[in-house]
Amino acid sequence: MLRGWLKTIALLIALLPWPAHALLTIEITGGSEAALPIAIVPFGTEGFAPPEDLSEIVSNDLASSGRFAPLEKRDLISQPHESEQVNFADWRLLRSEGLLIGKVSSQDGENYQVQFQLFDVYKAEQLVGKRYQVPASGLRNLGHQIADIVYETLTGEKGVFSTRLAFVSEMKNADGSKRYALQVSDADGANPRTVLQSTQPILSPNWAPDGEQLTYVSFENGKAEVYVQQLSSGRRNSVASFEGLNTAPAWSPDGKKLALTLSKNGNPEIYVMELASGNLSRVTHNSQAIDTEAVWMPSGREILFTSDRGGRPQIYRVDASGGRAERVTFEGGYNASADISPDGRMMSMVHSVNGRFHIAVQDLQTGTVQVLTDTTGDESPSFAPNGRMILYATEQKGRGILAAVSVDGRIKQRLGESGSAVREPAWSPFRN
Amino acid sequence: MKKTFVENFLAGSYSFLLHILILALFVIGMDFSSTPRKLANSDDVEIVQATVLDQSLVEEEVAKLEAFEKKEREAEAERQRQVDEKLEEARKALEQKEQEAQDMEQRAKLEQERRRQEAEKEQQQIAELEKQREKEEQRKQKAEQERIAAEKKRQAEEEARLQAEQKRKAEEAAKAKAEAERREQEAAKAKAEAERKAEEARKRQAEEEAKRAEEAKRKAEEQRKQAEEAQRKAEEDRKRAEAEARRKAAEADLQRQLEQEQQERDARRVQGVVDQYSLIIQQRVKRFWTRPSNSEAGLQCTVRVTLLPGGDVKNVTIVKSSGNSVFDRSAENAVYKAAPLPQPSDAKAAEALRDFQFIFKPE
Repeated sequence: MLRGWLKTIALLIALLPWPAHALLTIEITGGSEAALPIAIVPFGTEGFAPPEDLSEIVSNDLASSGRFAPLEKRDLISQPHESEQVNFADWRLLRSEGLLIGKVSSQDGENYQVQFQLFDVYKAEQLVGKRYQVPASGLRNLGHQIADIVYETLTGEKGVFSTRLAFVSEMKNADGSKRYALQVSDADGANPRTVLQSTQPILSPNWAPDGEQLTYVSFENGKAEVYVQQLSSGRRNSVASFEGLNTAPAWSPDGKKLALTLSKNGNPEIYVMELASGNLSRVTHNSQAIDTEAVWMPSGREILFTSDRGGRPQIYRVDASGGRAERVTFEGGYNASADISPDGRMMSMVHSVNGRFHIAVQDLQTGTVQVLTDTTGDESPSFAPNGRMILYATEQKGRGILAAVSVDGRIKQRLGESGSAVREPAWSPFRN
Repeated sequence: MKKTFVENFLAGSYSFLLHILILALFVIGMDFSSTPRKLANSDDVEIVQATVLDQSLVEEEVAKLEAFEKKEREAEAERQRQVDEKLEEARKALEQKEQEAQDMEQRAKLEQERRRQEAEKEQQQIAELEKQREKEEQRKQKAEQERIAAEKKRQAEEEARLQAEQKRKAEEAAKAKAEAERREQEAAKAKAEAERKAEEARKRQAEEEAKRAEEAKRKAEEQRKQAEEAQRKAEEDRKRAEAEARRKAAEADLQRQLEQEQQERDARRVQGVVDQYSLIIQQRVKRFWTRPSNSEAGLQCTVRVTLLPGGDVKNVTIVKSSGNSVFDRSAENAVYKAAPLPQPSDAKAAEALRDFQFIFKPE
């Protein structure tokens, strides 16, 4: 009886419509984080030729990020400028992940119409496309904006190509005397514009969170004073000219306060100034040590600063309203000039190894320190607003230059080709 | 002389009056008021309490009677004492008179004689009175004895009556008790009877049930035997049929087995080729996969791929997204960039590699 049943069941099972085979599954792990190949076709032109090569700007920007590998121009199979001209199979053969085409036209050489399209080569579909109308002077900046759009579309992160850098240039006059200029350039170091010139040193430029103002230290009156300057109008005013040092200003994340170093009471201490009222509150109280180079945590509740209270300069953390400071850096005999990543996880600083100064990052949660640069005399690290790169000044042949390094240390680049010595760079926030 | 006579006469009158007085005193001392007291009506008394109540009544009654007797006896003794006193007084008076008479005799022989005669006469009267008193005493004693006897008799009768009453009550109680016992016995008997009947009924029912169960069992057994028989028969039939079928299928089976073995050998061979090419394809796609540098560790996406003959990609679809569009696109693009995917020359293996899926994960 039972055997009969078993036979029936076995028969039923045999008759079930089993698939010929279960779907084959292949697991892919690892992969690489190599730069994405992208085809950037030189933009077509109509009418007056533009003063800037937009596709070149985009290509350089993307390449500088280390995340993209633009195809060599000679490898471009064809040069379409409009979607109808695109043969996707061509671009698939080149294994490019994206295809950027565009067109620049002008009837008068002053105003330019710009359009671009980014395609997914394999799906043969447009990922993003835009049209602009800009004056000739806006073309360069538009190129950076397009690079930001491509970057964000293909990586999922915001690009920083249209942000700016502030730094101090030191120039020699014919008679051997020096002059100083506070300059603002594109994110690639190109197109520097002088916003302040002085025969006396300028130090520590720092961006307001809105990207419209700068604060800095000027010795124009014979001593270190803190100024705030509106970029669009050039209007400036002194906010701290107390007796003694007035230096190292840092804008709070909400833009309403400055943290700065004052020695009006004899010893350099960290203070917080309310910009609207000018009210001061003292943060540190250590008359035996120099406390300086304040930087705000993104929360705005804590301040990191450099102090030699332990004998050698190290980074400390203190509540913005004051209180006991706790030491943050323990690796190496010199850690100074801290900056904090926008997400508050990483701290960059000048870190000495065997008497040489390098840029290092410290994971604020784990305390792990990684030295990023192999240049020497590195100073003033400043995070890009997307947190991927760190801008800093270094020395080359005894002259100060701008450089940038990715937070993982893999991408290193030199910025700008200025003839002057540059120092004290600061990366701007995102443009609103 | 004349004086003697008067004196004699006076003496004789005294004596007479005294006697009359004594007699009258006897008569007054009599008491005929004693009557038997009626006892409480026994009919009103509850049977159960009868004995006790009656006993107390009787005792009370006896006590009363005894008290009464005592009182009477005391009264009688008092009377006797008074009579004796009076008698003594009379005797003393008589003696005085005799003395006087003797005195007078001395004075007068005649008078003496007469007095002697009178004295004789008086003695006669006294003797007579004495006799009368004795007689009276006797009569009284007799009457008293009679009364006592009557009282005793009455008491005896009363006692007898009470005893009889008690006896009757006891009998009645005994009778009632006997009746109750009888009834109890009857009830017990009835109960026993009922129990016996119930027991019988139970026994009968149990027997019936046992009988029914037996019957059912017997029937079930019969059915089981029949079923077994049927089953056995069916089994035999089936076995015969199976044996037949086996015999008939044996050759076909053998043929099929050979074919199946051939198929299995083919399948194994195909599987081997598929495995080999899966590995080749995996290596190739991996080489072409450029994942976003900021991809989080937990990301994973599943991509289904169909190929054209020759290994070109016909279609790539995201079956399960990582939730990160850039990561998903990197996976899709890896497949496209790896195309054409290497294909085996074996047609069956190539067929298995036309439609499959990739799972992409950073680690």
